[in-house]
Order: sequence, then structure tokens, then C-alpha cells
Amino acid sequence: MTGSHTISRRRILYAGGAFAAASALSWGGAIAAPRTVKIGYVTPRTGPLAAFAEADDFVINAARKTFAGGIDVGGAKHPLEIIVKDSQSNPNRAAEVAAELIAKDKIDLMLVASTPETTNPVSDQCELNHTPCISTVAPWQPWFFTRGGKPDVGFEWTYHFFWGLEDIIAVFTTMWGSLPTNKVVGGIWPNDGDGNAWGDAKIGFPPALAAKNFSVVDPGRYQNLTEDYSAQIAEFKKGNVEIVTGVPIPPDFAVFWRQAMQQGFKPKVATVGKALLFPVAVEALGDSGRGVSNEVWWTPNHPFSSSLTHQSAGDLAASYESTTGKQWTQPIGFAHALFELAANVMARTQKLDSQASIRDAIAGTKLDTIVGPIAWGSGPVKNVAKTPLVGGQWRQGSKHKFDLCIVENSQAKNIPIGGQLEPI
Amino acid sequence: MSLLELENASRLQHGVWIAAAALLAVLILAPWWADDSDLRSIAEFAYLVAIAQMWNLLAGYGGLISVGQQVFIGIGGYTLLILSLDAGISPFLCIPVAGVVSALFAVPIAAVVFRLQGPYFAIGTWVVADVFRLALDNVPAIGGGSGKSLTSALMSIPGWQREATTYWIALGLGVGLTIGVYLILRSRLGLAMTAVRDSVPASESLGVRVGRTKLLIYVASALGLGMAGALIYLTKLRVSPDAAFSMDWTVLMIFIVVIGGIGTVEGPIVGTAVFFFLRAMLADFGPWYLVILGSVAVVVMLKARRGIWGWVAGRFNFHVFPTRRRIRVNSLRSGFAEMPPSPRYLTE
Repeated sequence: MTGSHTISRRRILYAGGAFAAASALSWGGAIAAPRTVKIGYVTPRTGPLAAFAEADDFVINAARKTFAGGIDVGGAKHPLEIIVKDSQSNPNRAAEVAAELIAKDKIDLMLVASTPETTNPVSDQCELNHTPCISTVAPWQPWFFTRGGKPDVGFEWTYHFFWGLEDIIAVFTTMWGSLPTNKVVGGIWPNDGDGNAWGDAKIGFPPALAAKNFSVVDPGRYQNLTEDYSAQIAEFKKGNVEIVTGVPIPPDFAVFWRQAMQQGFKPKVATVGKALLFPVAVEALGDSGRGVSNEVWWTPNHPFSSSLTHQSAGDLAASYESTTGKQWTQPIGFAHALFELAANVMARTQKLDSQASIRDAIAGTKLDTIVGPIAWGSGPVKNVAKTPLVGGQWRQGSKHKFDLCIVENSQAKNIPIGGQLEPI
Repeated sequence: MSLLELENASRLQHGVWIAAAALLAVLILAPWWADDSDLRSIAEFAYLVAIAQMWNLLAGYGGLISVGQQVFIGIGGYTLLILSLDAGISPFLCIPVAGVVSALFAVPIAAVVFRLQGPYFAIGTWVVADVFRLALDNVPAIGGGSGKSLTSALMSIPGWQREATTYWIALGLGVGLTIGVYLILRSRLGLAMTAVRDSVPASESLGVRVGRTKLLIYVASALGLGMAGALIYLTKLRVSPDAAFSMDWTVLMIFIVVIGGIGTVEGPIVGTAVFFFLRAMLADFGPWYLVILGSVAVVVMLKARRGIWGWVAGRFNFHVFPTRRRIRVNSLRSGFAEMPPSPRYLTE
């Protein structure tokens, strides 16, 4: 009963807003205002994944400034509204806000980023409700396969760009190959979207490592937010592990690493995905964070520039640091690239009111973005476009406590390296 | 006219019932007049009422304070996932089946948790829910900890048909479970339940079969939550253990029931309305949203211990769903001046 009251209240607000917008436009002299293009953006602004969304406000504010004069749709300027929703790092909530953006806000295009727990529920809602969607910042296998994707069929409405497990396996193993070790790798892979894919016996690390003559100590999947890693550490010590890898969430790696130090387990290399992406996460390890290494999808040194603002990667990161006073993080480039793609797709859209037309524009994308060239159609499976991946190591910083130095670029030679991997 | 007489429904109650029936008719026709977002909102309202009623039945009437009712939402969600994706059964048909599966699981779960009393019972139910979550985390065939999407099971159903059927099922659950709770409470079982809630030894001494009464109520609650769980994941499209067995579901049920009025059939409806209102007002405040929701719950618990509807019912003596049989003492013509002129309620 009162549910419908809430709705009517909202409608009145909306009608009021539309009226205000319309009168504002008529002040500006517009007679027939072109319809507003609506873009929805779902991201984990709060909760355990919040570090991924730290750069969002900076990127969205910049995008709003860029599109202040409207967004180009098939040659005509339209006003743009960007509606941002918080997934609260919770897949239930992500599905809920995505459904709301689709049904209530009637968005034209969905953008979503940061881990399968965010990208997958949102992509599912879009796929079923025929809403074009571009997602990123999740390796493509957990995005594609756990959603029931078949490589030859793919999806109709949802598109993804990022790197895949094959890239991270190549990067990590090449890094490890550059140091003399006993080639025994211990894996801490959690029981979640990423961990299950990385630790998978068919598509994950274990078979690939075996093929490259590494031996693997896999203590099995553990639950996120586990507080005691003694069992894993004991197994690693027993197996004489010299290389640690995995894809834990940042607080878990901090606990694991501290316990490893306490229990006298000191591997020569610790190359870990996801947990070491952010400088704050590495700083949380204290001095023992020096020398840990991770995957690198974007840095200020990447030789790419924005198709939207023509800033170089270095300029964008510098602008972030001067605006927010914080050290740059990797998601800045990808959040920016989402809006580059949105602008490019809308410009090539023939009919704004046809979802199929927007989708076809996405499928036909060929764009050099700040994270590298993106084109769907040449990826490993339908609906997936790949961006380059390199490897990096956290070193003593000059301006900040730690700086990320690129130490491996076998998969993307155009990205310059800053040094060689050093043992911890 | 006899001295003591069972009170019948008042004219006001009749009015409310007619209005409710008219509203229901309008809501049933909603797929033809409302747009997708309205349908989704009404459906969500209906399923929240449904799950809150199930918790209310347990706690408000049965005295069983469980904080692990999410286990049945999760079982419902996973039944839907397995049957629709792997067995190819129509997702809509899976919903009643999910209720039955959930009720079947409730029997052995009850055998374990009913050994515990009071706070130990609450913790026990929570542990059971987490055991299910962790167990499903380790079954790779249904996605393990990553979960699985339902989209492919729904792709072949035309959009309007899918939205409308989902909506009708949600509405049916909200209305049906509310009426179901009311009917249970008016039955012998309802009488036994409230007796057990108020005093186990006293009801036992009167011949109430305590164990059987508790079990029936627990299984009934599981049946409703299993169906609701399947429906919820039909709209969310993706089932993963952390989401399906999330404590949030029970927290939501408790919030709605406590705000609306525990131990009243009307309470969950009022509570859901308050929750919708607060969420619409505060959704963009980030973490503050939860802080304010929590504060509202604390204030209601301190100031109006029986919730909003409990306060209304006590103040105006008005019940849309009267679950107690009340006896009216009729004043006898003249000569009994000491009898009050207006009806008094003996049981209040």
C-alpha cells in the first residue's frame, strides 16, 4: 500500500525535476530539448571492495565536466546524466541497484567495474533486460564462465574488457623465471569468484604451472576473512615453498603475511593478485611490504592516452594526485576508459531509442584508450576484449612510501620496464 | 441477548477488508497499468512482507527467536538454481517445489536446534545457516563460492510474461502468507502456539503438545521462506552462498517485524512500509543509511516496545486481523446498574 505511495512521491519529484530541467533549458533558449542520455554506473563505493572505487569520484567529476556541453549521439548533442549506484560490495545489492537503474531510471547504457562480485550480477540483469552493458576490472574467465557463457555463443547485451588468467599466468611465471628459486609455488586462493578461477585444476594456475615445470603446493580454498593461516603456512614450510602467489582480498593477505613472518616463513618471492593493487594495502604491511610483487594493468608509465581528454596516462595520474592528494591507483585508468568507451559508443549510435543500435555500436568498437586499444571481435571469446598486463614490484618510494616498479613486460613489450624483479 | 457473547467483526473492520480486497484487485491487474519499475517495487514489497510474516510467526507467536532464517531463503534460492538450470524445470514451477524442499530440510534442522533454549537456540540457528553456506561454498558443480547465474534458464521466456508472472507470484506470496499466518493463528494450532510462547510448563500441563507445536510452526515458516527465497533469486538472477545465506536477510526480517509490531499480523505490513519509506529517503547517504535504520530500530524498541502497530492496536483497540477471540459482556436491561454500559473486554 505505502509502497505505491513511495513510488508516486518519487514520480512527483521526477516530474518536478524534469520541469525544472525543462525550464532551465528554455532559459538557455532551447526550444525542443533533445532527450537526455542516461548512463548508469555501479561500483563498490562502500564495503571491503571500496578501495577499487576510490578513484570514482575523481573520474566521474571529470566526466561530468567533459560532457557539460552534452554528449554526441550520432552527430547530435544530447544532455548527459550519469547515475552512480553503490553496490556496497554485496552481490545482492548490486543486482538490486542494477534492476533499479534499468527499470526506474531507464538508462541507455550500463557501466560497471571491480571484481566478479560486482560485474556479474549487474551484467546478468542487463543481459536479461536487454540493456547494453560494458564491464571491466575482473579477469574475463570468472566474468564469462560463471555466468554460463559459451565461447562460440557469448552474450547478446553484455561486453567486457580486461585481461585473463592466461595473461596473469604468463606474467607471473616469467617474473619467477627471472630469479633463481627451487620453483616450488604455494597458492593462497580463496573460495570466491576469482580464487576458484585462479586455482581451477583445468583453466587456472595449477595445470599451467605444472606445464612450465613449477611444482604447486595448494592447501585448498579458504573462506574470505579467515583469521588463521597457520595450516597454509605449515604446508608451505613443509613443501619448501619459495614463491607465494594467490588472489586474496587485501585484509586477508595482510593477516597471512604477518603470520608468515611470525612463524618464520620467508619466501623469496610473493607475487599476489588483487591484494597488493593499492598502495594503502602495501603500506598496511609495514616494512615487510617492501619487495612484494603483483599484476599491473595500468600505471602512469603506460604509453597510452585518453581519446576523450587527450591526457597521457602520466597526466591523468598527476591530475588525480594533485586533485585528491593521494597516490595514484590502477583503477583510475579503467574507470576513465569506461567513460571513453561510453562517449565513443554513443557517438557511433545510429538510433538513441534503440537498445540494439547502442549494442551494435559497442560490438563495433575500435578505440585507443588510456588503458590500451580496445576492440571486441578479436578477443579470446565473444564479448571479451583484452587489455595488456605486465608485472610490478613495490619498492621503497621517493614521494610515497612505496612505488610500483614495472619488472616484467613479456606480454606487452610496448610498456617500458623500470627494473628487474629482486628477491624479497 | 445473552450475557456473554463472542464479539464479531466491527463495521470498521468490514470496511478495511472491503478496501483491502479492492486494492488487491487493482494490484492483480498491475501488469496492465504499471510500468516495470512499479511492478518490481510492489513485488519487492510483497516478498518482504512474506518473509517478515514468516519470522513474525516464529518469534512473535511461537516465541522462537531465530537469527538463522536465511538458511531457508538460501535453500529456496539453490533449489531454484539446481532445478531450473540443471534439470530444466520451469523456474516458476520451482517456487512451490523450493518451499517443499525447504520444509523437508527444516525437520532435521529442527531436531538439532530445538535441543537449545533461548539465546542458545538463536546462536544455534545462525550456526546452522553458516554450515549450509560453507557447505555450498565447497560444491563446485553449482558454482562453489563464486555462485552461478540463472540468466540462461530465463532467456527463453518473453520479457512481459516473465515480469508479470514473477510479480503475481510475489503478490500471491505476500498476500497468501499473511492470510496463512492469520488462519493458523485462528486455529487450534495458533492457540497452542501462543500458549507455548507464554509458558511452556503451563501449556504442557494443559495438554498442549509442545514439541509438535513448535515443529509445525518451524516447518511452516521454512515452507514460506523457501518459496520466498526462490522468488527473490528469480529477480536477482545470481545465486552465491555468501549472498543467499547472508545474515542480512534475517536482519531485514527482524527490523521489519520489530518496527511494525511483533506478534501482530498487521505489523510486518506496516514495518515493510516504514522500511520502504526510510530506504527511499536515505538510499543515497551511503553507510549513514544503515546507521539511521539501526537508530530507528533502537528508538522503537525503547519507546514503543510492541512496534508501530502494537501501539496503534493498544491505543485505539483496532485490529484488521483480530487473532484473539474476545468475549463481550452485554449489559442487561435495567436493574443491573453496577454493570458498565459499554462493552468490556475480558481477555484484554
